[in-house]
Amino acid sequence: MSDTSPDPESFEAFRQSFSYGSRSNLDFKFLKSLPDDEAAAFIEVVLDRISDAYDTGDIEPILDAAYRAQIAGYTPAPGAPESPHTYDTAPFTPMSMPAAASTIGLITSSGHFVIGDDPRPFGVVEMTQAEAESRISEFLRETPVVSEIPADTPAEDLMVRHGGYDVASTIRDRNVTLPMDRLAEGVAAGVVGALTDTFFSFPGATSQGRLKRELPAWLDRFEREQADAFLLVPV
Amino acid sequence: MSVGHVARAIEESGTPTVVVMVRAFRHVAERMMLPRTVITRHPMGRPVGAAGDAERQASVIQAAMDVLDRAVEGGTIVELEPPFRPGSLD
Repeated sequence: MSDTSPDPESFEAFRQSFSYGSRSNLDFKFLKSLPDDEAAAFIEVVLDRISDAYDTGDIEPILDAAYRAQIAGYTPAPGAPESPHTYDTAPFTPMSMPAAASTIGLITSSGHFVIGDDPRPFGVVEMTQAEAESRISEFLRETPVVSEIPADTPAEDLMVRHGGYDVASTIRDRNVTLPMDRLAEGVAAGVVGALTDTFFSFPGATSQGRLKRELPAWLDRFEREQADAFLLVPV
Repeated sequence: MSVGHVARAIEESGTPTVVVMVRAFRHVAERMMLPRTVITRHPMGRPVGAAGDAERQASVIQAAMDVLDRAVEGGTIVELEPPFRPGSLD
């Protein structure tokens, strides 16, 4: 009698499956980058803390374990090759007046757009979030499209699609990645002087080279907003 | 990384910028020498705060405006202390 059972899944394959694999979960795709022992320790800690939470009701230690593992997963290991996107100096333009008297613009890489103004990546009409995730490698080679979002756009008129992160939180509350309402409240509270008429968003998982070639045209569009300063929010 | 290129370009064109990003990407702010960065101790995908946590979101905006006002040189990084907390969607 032959043994037809499949080979057991390795732990390495298990942790890698969270990164666009059979168990894809963009909150935990960092497991692909953790060494086996660190990934195993993370899972062990989370399970222990869940056991504690049964009694305490306190989930903060669980969230903290995920937060720390995520940092470990994304931070380059010592001796890792230097990123080509490394600079020796930082540009700096001083503020001409306090933020409380300034007009502030907003640019995010969250992938928001106004309904009716879908950037239609790859020509696809109404691409789903699931398809965006499944085509992440194509997005990473593609020219990004920046969407214009009028500052008074109601939440129900916005959509978000981005193959690189879990958009569930920002669907529930756009301010998680696109803090339009908080900025408007900031104006009312005197924290911000005024807002530009239009905000901008694009899916940040994109070709860096193509993005840089788009920047002169993007800058022309940003400058038309006559912002005194920009708030930028990557995801 | 994408936003880093955008921030640098805007700043080089003569308009100040401030970037709000999560702690997991602090190394990006450092190696890209971004003009001004506010780091939040939040998980990826929730840089400004949890869904329904308007109080935290507002404090992050306030911190970003403070950094705009106070930074005197490029490469300024301010890491906020409060850990992530769930919000209320009621």
